[in-house]
Amino acid sequence: MLSINNLRVVYHDVISVLNGISLEVKEGEILVIIGANGAGKTTLLRTIAGMIHFYNGDIIDGDIKMGDVSIKGLDSSDIMKRYSLTYVMEDRPIFEYLTIEENLKAASYSRWDNKVKDDIEMVLDYFPGLKRTFNRRAGYASGGEQQMLAIGMALMTKPRMLLLDEPSLGLAPLITRELFQIIQKLNRSGITVVLVEQNAFAALNIGNRGYVVEMGRVVLDGEGQELLKNEDVREFYLGAGETTRKSFKDAKRYKRRKRWL
Amino acid sequence: MIDFLQAVGDGIFIGLVYALLGLCIVIIFKASETFNFAIGEFLVFGAFLFYVLFFDLGFPIVVAFPVGLAAAAAVGGIIEWFSIRPLLGRSPLSMTMVTLGLAMVMRAVIQFIWGSHSYSFFLELPDITVEKGEFLFISDPIWAGMLSIVTFIVILLFLFRTRWGLAIRAVSEDQAKAMAFGINARFILLIIWAISAACIAVAGIMISNFGALSVTSVSVGLRSIPVVLIGGMDSIIGALVAGIIVGVTESLAGAYIEPLGLVGFKEVAPYFMMLIVLFIRPYGLFGTVRIERV
Repeated sequence: MLSINNLRVVYHDVISVLNGISLEVKEGEILVIIGANGAGKTTLLRTIAGMIHFYNGDIIDGDIKMGDVSIKGLDSSDIMKRYSLTYVMEDRPIFEYLTIEENLKAASYSRWDNKVKDDIEMVLDYFPGLKRTFNRRAGYASGGEQQMLAIGMALMTKPRMLLLDEPSLGLAPLITRELFQIIQKLNRSGITVVLVEQNAFAALNIGNRGYVVEMGRVVLDGEGQELLKNEDVREFYLGAGETTRKSFKDAKRYKRRKRWL
Repeated sequence: MIDFLQAVGDGIFIGLVYALLGLCIVIIFKASETFNFAIGEFLVFGAFLFYVLFFDLGFPIVVAFPVGLAAAAAVGGIIEWFSIRPLLGRSPLSMTMVTLGLAMVMRAVIQFIWGSHSYSFFLELPDITVEKGEFLFISDPIWAGMLSIVTFIVILLFLFRTRWGLAIRAVSEDQAKAMAFGINARFILLIIWAISAACIAVAGIMISNFGALSVTSVSVGLRSIPVVLIGGMDSIIGALVAGIIVGVTESLAGAYIEPLGLVGFKEVAPYFMMLIVLFIRPYGLFGTVRIERV
């Protein structure tokens, strides 16, 4: 469905964030992307969604293809309209001073048809918690509700592909589990999901496939369960690894192994 | 007492025009955190566009007024296209600097096209002078105030009752988020500038109607500074209240302080008011109350 080939992205002409990343998203899957802070995960999503110019970034090499068509350099609203791809930014991208109802309506801007009311009902079915605060300003909703709202807003755009940037950021474990269940439910209804997560364990558990990104390139890929069992992933991203305590001598070995390939 | 009420009444009518000026600044500030310093030039330019249609070409007012506003909106949109759009996503400060440059360029263009002498400007609006007992409210300021408040309400309805308005409010809150949800922020900004330019033209026409129109009227645009600072840079209701405050302050200063020998104090009084308000409430009377979750 979506393939990214050797993509390089530079901010402000100097800060090179993506250094030739290549990956592929297959139709109907949940693809998980994990990586440390600063690995370039958010930049990757911004680039796919066509918002990189807004952040003073530039694509200097490589290509993004939707099917066979290159979507490189298209504006975000064009990408959304033509390819039904919606990017949910990190840290709850809601409009705090609008009510929840207005938030949902605002997100339906790209369609302008009269099915908005039905779709709001549909979103409320997915997220019944939003009914309670439907007419209040979204800024007063709890963190969990805000994240639910953000995904609900994304649903209002009728996406075929969702890019989720750290939806579990700052949420309690129980809420996170609920959220991931909803993501699975959405996926079963036919939406392809690209999930960027710090909560690697939970994410890989629901993901079909996963990529590990480091320094702006993919260093490891595989099935979700396969990655969960991978020793390096366990050690660096799940904090599990070997159970014995390490001495300083071993810490050195840790550093050597971090080079992956 | 009669004098006082008379002065307050006069102040309210002119204050409504100032409120409209404030609104024009506020909607642009909310959307892009840019202070439009070229407001005075937009005001004179819009008034001149109307002047050409109404006085030079002789269209009836019902045609000249909407067409003039549409032309002003188009000019606002074109200016945004060339000067503001390329800076989207950059620091709001750089956009504000651009509006300073715009002010100079537009003033030069106005002088180039229409010269710097004044044009007599008189709309033959029906006389609605109110004369009751010892009160006398002249027709022109009443018209100006009424038209301004009508425009103000139309803008509010547009912002709070239509889908376009909702999109504008969403972009005003966060451009990046709005773009991520498929709202074309660039286009919305263009619309905002066009609307703002049209409203400023309404104010410009009404202010010119008090006397004459010339390039020196750009100084009226400066009145919007105390208005938005008193009301709060991002508050629409603040613009309305502060507009009236500025109008009344000006009028009272003219009635009570100027006769003491301080000629011209009328022009300065709103800034004193602004200082006092800023000492007490640094964000203005209705400046943003930040949402804090409990």
